[in-house]
Amino acid sequence: MKLIKKECVVMLLAGGQGSRLGALTTKIAKPSVPFGGKYRIIDFPLSNCVNSNLDTIGVLTQYQPLTLNSYIGDGKSWDLDRMHGGIQILPPYQRVGDSEWYSGTANAIYQNMNFIDLYSPEYVLILSGDHIYKMDYSLMINYHKEKDADCTISVIEVPMEEASRFGILSSDEDGRITDFEEKPENPKSNQASMGIYVFKWDKLKKYLEIDENNPHSTNDFGKDVIPLMLKSNEKMYAYKFKGYWKDVGTIDSLWQANMDLLDKDGLDLSDDWVIYSRHAEKPPHYISKEALVKNSIISEGAVIFGTVENSIIFSGVTVGKNSYVKDSVIMADVEIKENTVINYAIIDEMVKIGSNLQIGEPIGDKSKITVIPRESVINSNEGVII
Amino acid sequence: MNALGIIFSDIQDWNMTELASHRSVAAIPFGGRYRLIDFPLSNMVNSGINKVCVITKSNYRSLMEHIGSGKDWDLSRKKGGILIFPPYAVGDNHGLYQGRLDALKRVLDYIVNSKEKYVVLSDCDMIYDIDYRKVIKYHEEKNSDITALYTKTGINKSNSVHKILYKFDEEGRVSDVLVYPITEGTHNIGLNSWVMNKEFLEALIYDAIARNYKDFSYDVLAARVRSLRIYGYEYKGFFAHIDSLQSYYDNSMKLLNIETLQSIFYSKTGPIYTKRKDSTPTKYCKEAVVKNSLIASGCIIEGTVENSIIFRGVKIGKNAVVKNSIIMQHSTIGENAQLNSIITDTYAYVNNDRVLLGYANCPFFIKKNSIV
Repeated sequence: MKLIKKECVVMLLAGGQGSRLGALTTKIAKPSVPFGGKYRIIDFPLSNCVNSNLDTIGVLTQYQPLTLNSYIGDGKSWDLDRMHGGIQILPPYQRVGDSEWYSGTANAIYQNMNFIDLYSPEYVLILSGDHIYKMDYSLMINYHKEKDADCTISVIEVPMEEASRFGILSSDEDGRITDFEEKPENPKSNQASMGIYVFKWDKLKKYLEIDENNPHSTNDFGKDVIPLMLKSNEKMYAYKFKGYWKDVGTIDSLWQANMDLLDKDGLDLSDDWVIYSRHAEKPPHYISKEALVKNSIISEGAVIFGTVENSIIFSGVTVGKNSYVKDSVIMADVEIKENTVINYAIIDEMVKIGSNLQIGEPIGDKSKITVIPRESVINSNEGVII
Repeated sequence: MNALGIIFSDIQDWNMTELASHRSVAAIPFGGRYRLIDFPLSNMVNSGINKVCVITKSNYRSLMEHIGSGKDWDLSRKKGGILIFPPYAVGDNHGLYQGRLDALKRVLDYIVNSKEKYVVLSDCDMIYDIDYRKVIKYHEEKNSDITALYTKTGINKSNSVHKILYKFDEEGRVSDVLVYPITEGTHNIGLNSWVMNKEFLEALIYDAIARNYKDFSYDVLAARVRSLRIYGYEYKGFFAHIDSLQSYYDNSMKLLNIETLQSIFYSKTGPIYTKRKDSTPTKYCKEAVVKNSLIASGCIIEGTVENSIIFRGVKIGKNAVVKNSIIMQHSTIGENAQLNSIITDTYAYVNNDRVLLGYANCPFFIKKNSIV
């Protein structure tokens, strides 16, 4: 079966556990972690694709895919229920005499080469579901074409002291990549890879096959495929991205990225580059006579009787009378009863919190973010996971 | 469910000169993010009706934009789904519809071709939460020709003229129908919704064609009350009739009661569906003070809002004070502006420092796209 040809097919790596997010990802995959009052992390790459006129997307899932699968559905929330292309979920599958999990990012693509071949694309765009950012991928693809590159890697400047956390690239004046090191101890530049790659499909195919036949490979783009291509002297270019880009792979960075939405210099969600999402049908939120809301984001269906300050309140949250929520992220359908104080916390979806409780400690040099996992019922101060 | 829904989108346009000047009654914004048609449509969808036709005669752009393919009501279907009927000429019967019966004549083919056993008719000017499955069961039990929905409520001489009143005999059969009377007191008020067998409706339409009847209330309900088996189905619960700017204001303000709000939007029959807009959550700035208000998404609030309903995408500037008001979508209230008892239609712009004052029993209305 050959389908109508697409110039570029997007492969979105969404199978990672995101173990550094701890309790937030014990039941759901990282890309489906809620963000910003009504979104999930995956809404950002998906909306970026749609806004960049990329309409053929394979989503590679492996770890805890139920929430993600049901969230994506037929893709209509992102306008991806298309006649040709659209969104396709790609879990690992069984073959004659063989079946294996995705052993790494490159292996996940390798196992789905047949999906990409359906559309006979020139280019493949590889994305991950770990970052909050707005980016026009079509500009990067244009750059890739201009340079006639075999591979283009999107890079962003990071502070030099943080550079050793990233894959670090060095490039010449023309932008051609001269060096790549994954998490180097002594970084040579502050150009960090954003984990966004454009490949010529025939080149990528070739290197995926070489990589697959190497028994010592970890089948990872950053660790194996990219260094191999560079060593083989393929034309690889760095595409410089400027703008808001935040890794939300840790509890602290997820909290911070949420708080950035309250900051004027943070990501502007209300501009024309719309971030689409799928959400429950809820009425406008209600703020009662006794309530006080300062410097916060509040989503539909929330009912606020208490005080909310510097916080992100998702849809369907109830904050009871005299309760006080500060510096926190309260995810969808959380119920907080009366006289409870919540400080510096991330409360995951559908948690029920009783009255007269103290959760979390105020922000300070030594205080840590308190995380309460999905569907917990908290009726006493004991047993709160910090 | 085995029923076809028919919604009249603009039978009452003449009552609502302000809000329905640019749109049909069905498309009047209500409750922060809805349009009036969302309520009858959601009643139908939540009752399992998946084939609905919407009859409209004029001003229907915003209605059509709102409905789109119908997918937000789960009405984009292979079988059934939603269809909008603008004025439609059949033979020498052309021009705007003159009443429900006249409109039904022109969609006769659609009705005849439908396979459903029952038909549910509804207008768009009333808000209530009904499970039509129960109404149809009652309709079968009584072996009625027509089952009319009603609720018991008090009316006065000014709003009775927009209502249909039913009187019943001991058995519950309608014995008298008063159409748009001038009266007061507690009465059985029609909800402008009726259930019939489809075959019966077809017979009514054939009869109306032969006799040149145009009006369902006068020519069928009132004129044939003795010969037809018309039964009433009582609805108890929140009821709002939007038949004037004042009633629009009063009924909107009722949403600020949390029990009322939850009874409408978290009903057992299901949620109220509306067009999805992908607006961002609402942002409250450091200076915001909001009390007893219903606030939709996509707003930026820097000022004070009290006892008000704020629709999607509204901006309230610094030190602005909005009280007892309804601010429709994409309106902007400038810095230091003060508004009390104001209804702004969509895309209104109130400049900085303006002071606008209405009164609770006479809210001041600002037209769509106005700049104050």
